[in-house]
Amino acid sequence: MTRHAIAVTVNGAPRAATVDARLSLLDCLREEWGLTGTHAGCEHGACGACTVLLDDVPVRSCLLLAVQADGARVTTIEGLAAGDELHPVQQGFWECHGLQCGFCTPGMVLTAVDLLARVPDPSEAEIREALAGNLCMCTGYENIVRAVRWAAARAGERRA
Amino acid sequence: MSGRAAPAGWVGRPLKRLEDPRFLRGRATYIDDLRFPGMLHVAMLRSPHAHARLVRLDASGAAALPGVAAVLTGEDVARAMPALSPLIPIPTPPRTYPLAVGRVRYVGEPVATVAACDRATAEDAVELIRAEYERLPAVVDPERALEPDAPVLFDEMGSNVLWHDTLTYGDVDGAFAAARTVVRERFTIHRYVSTPLETFGVIAHVESGTGLVTIWSNDQRPGLTSGVVAAALGIPQNRLRLLALDIGGGFGNKRKAPYLILAALLARATGRPVKYVEDRRENLSALAHGANGVMDAALALDGDGRFLAIALRDIVDEGANLQNPTLHSLLKLGNIVNCYRIGAVRFEAYSVLTNKCPSGANRGIGKPAMCFAIERLVDLAARRLGRDPAELRFANFIPPSEFPYETPVGASYDSGDFPETLRRALALADYEGLRAAQAAARREGRLVGIGLAAAVEPSTSNLSSYMLATGKGGTSGVGEAALVRVELDGSVRVATGNVASGQGYPTVIAQIVADELGVTPPDVVVSPWFDSHENPWMFSSGNFSNKFSGTDTGAIVGAARAVREKILAIAAHVLEAAPDDLELRAGAVGVRGVPGRRVTLAQVAGAAYRDLLALPPGAAGGLEARYYYVNPAATRPDAGRRVGVQLTFSNSAHVTAVEVDRATGALRFLTYAIAHDCGREINPLLVEGMVHGSTAHGIGATLLEEFVYDDEGQLLTTTFMDYLKPTALDVPAFRVEALETPSPRTPLGAKGVGEGGAIPSLAAIANAVEDALAPLGVTIRHLPLTPARIWEALRRA
Repeated sequence: MTRHAIAVTVNGAPRAATVDARLSLLDCLREEWGLTGTHAGCEHGACGACTVLLDDVPVRSCLLLAVQADGARVTTIEGLAAGDELHPVQQGFWECHGLQCGFCTPGMVLTAVDLLARVPDPSEAEIREALAGNLCMCTGYENIVRAVRWAAARAGERRA
Repeated sequence: MSGRAAPAGWVGRPLKRLEDPRFLRGRATYIDDLRFPGMLHVAMLRSPHAHARLVRLDASGAAALPGVAAVLTGEDVARAMPALSPLIPIPTPPRTYPLAVGRVRYVGEPVATVAACDRATAEDAVELIRAEYERLPAVVDPERALEPDAPVLFDEMGSNVLWHDTLTYGDVDGAFAAARTVVRERFTIHRYVSTPLETFGVIAHVESGTGLVTIWSNDQRPGLTSGVVAAALGIPQNRLRLLALDIGGGFGNKRKAPYLILAALLARATGRPVKYVEDRRENLSALAHGANGVMDAALALDGDGRFLAIALRDIVDEGANLQNPTLHSLLKLGNIVNCYRIGAVRFEAYSVLTNKCPSGANRGIGKPAMCFAIERLVDLAARRLGRDPAELRFANFIPPSEFPYETPVGASYDSGDFPETLRRALALADYEGLRAAQAAARREGRLVGIGLAAAVEPSTSNLSSYMLATGKGGTSGVGEAALVRVELDGSVRVATGNVASGQGYPTVIAQIVADELGVTPPDVVVSPWFDSHENPWMFSSGNFSNKFSGTDTGAIVGAARAVREKILAIAAHVLEAAPDDLELRAGAVGVRGVPGRRVTLAQVAGAAYRDLLALPPGAAGGLEARYYYVNPAATRPDAGRRVGVQLTFSNSAHVTAVEVDRATGALRFLTYAIAHDCGREINPLLVEGMVHGSTAHGIGATLLEEFVYDDEGQLLTTTFMDYLKPTALDVPAFRVEALETPSPRTPLGAKGVGEGGAIPSLAAIANAVEDALAPLGVTIRHLPLTPARIWEALRRA
């Protein structure tokens, strides 16, 4: 099987690997680089648990090959907090009890980060629409919606 | 009674979870996150047929592939272990194993397994295994499975019936004969499951020399699983170390001893750690489905509309489940009369094998179906009698003055105020306003419906109830174990036999212990993980049937109070005071009314572990206690076969309004209101989260989710593209109100909450849809209510 050398900037740091062409970005993050915060929920692009940001755009890392990320910037859940300080979306999930088992949380948080980057003060309908590609089996979404609103409000305070 | 008292301590406060940061930062440890040097990865060959003879299996190609370390077939496994024991006594018990031997009985059944250097190589190897099958006729429908000429799964059994029994309580025939009105309906219950987002997984390692088997898994019932796995591996239980890490959702599904056994056999064969994690297709086709079935139900009413009797003929389709059938049947006994005073009950139960995925535990198990049947009957009765469905319920609720109330089947309802719960839900939904809006909508030709359902939420399974089906003793009651330890520096550590999969146990346990020991929750460290060599545990240890409030709280409080007593005894000696004069708070023991005369917890612990001569004369060292709590309400079935299948009873009422689109059959929620009462809430923030989540499970089951098998037993829904889960757009915003009627039977007054909304939501939504379609005379008998199904009903009306 052909192997390919790739170089990816992951959470601001350069990473390199030589991978099989068939290796998914998800498996590359988890197995090659030990970033296990990105989760495999369905491996067919339906649940969103494996969502990461590729050049700031949310993608399903289970549907992308690692070689497709060559030369790109990837942000995973591990890269979101600034040291001890959680990202406002992470903090919102904590404050509003937006997680139970936590398995969907990394993908859910990154999807919300992207939403707030595009729409700083989203309505409930906009939040639900944005999160509709990420399944959560525990929360019924109510507290996740609250968490995103909390984060939007916190970011708004900081801008003011 | 109802209404929430301001908490005096930490119990009762909506504390955010102490354990969240690791989950928020992507630093949790789920089973698939763990790896060991030299670890092998497993893939399975699974049956493509529902029913077939396995004529030939040639795994030599797989074994020869570079990177493959071991291949096991069913025959290899049958040589390596005794057969798995069926739960139900069968004269000639079928010999089944974690892999199929000679015959496959459902699509997805494991046939062979490969361990290789990585998962991709293992998958490649599976493709090189040559299996030849000779197809047999499959039985897919449970009623067909009962017919004398139906294909039989296990020839040794002679039929597909695992259990058939009729339980009668009170004068059922007399009640039906005397009834003014009888409503009868036949409901079909579909297959669905709560699909934790993390699939099942296991890592096994066998230590050379000692033969100690260490298994990490996300199995949610380690107490039960330990014995099954040790017996299969032929080792004493002290040589099996079973661990559970962070678990990505459970809901009852996360149990599969056969996978633990297979991983351990592969680890034994290779001498290397072995990991197996299901992929989603394997999970959806072969882990466990909530059972489907057929419920023929009848409700007898007198001339005033009072309920006299309920009769149920219940066929549960267990799939190919020999190991733990009858769950769905027995649990229906817990809520067969629901919230109502009904004097007589007949329950005819069938537990039937078919060529489908084995049934298994799933949030609420039989309770949602039972609630669906009775709450549908009540609505049909209201319609027949021209009475408001809320009013008919009020007329039949068990009044609060009659608590504790024993139902005819022997369930003892501990506390509750059913009328008040429904009143609150109706007020929350603005029932009068909804009815007015509905009338206006109907004048415009719009299809708007209002549905309600009341429900008891039975919790904490009494394992004695299985005797009804098995006739066997040896397992009875229910309990849990806890360890509370004050370390040498005065800090507090707790471990229990339960495993957390999102419920927030580490936080809730810290709240409970903080109150008992006079510290704050962040001072208390609760072991997040289970380790059978470290945590105290018993057979019923683990996560099932909402048992935390009915057993775990007792174990935690029991252990904490024993430690507290010892703290006070040591402190009394050190302070030269009587224990009764002491108070324990803010991390220290002081003499009441004498400021300054105090010792800190660290000083007390110092005496217990280091300054041993400071202990009271003759006292043992150490400052810890284990407590094995046994719920005192559990009994064995009596001579009349009456038994409390479950031991505490929360309750709730759901009121929802929906609008159905005439053109497409699509459904839109206009409102969704929930009033619930789970006794004293240890942490209201977490309780409300579970109310939301469990209701979303019910919404998925009612509107979207269904495992569809074709006539030949092929499963057609094996991805999340065709087995549809509710998204943020499918679940409405909820309005929730909590009542608190503490249980007199649990140490903190708490009752179960995890299944909650998964029980009444099916009925509430179905009642709303039927009400919306009432102008067309449609009766809802099947779920899920997909747009296609509603559209079909509209078209035929």
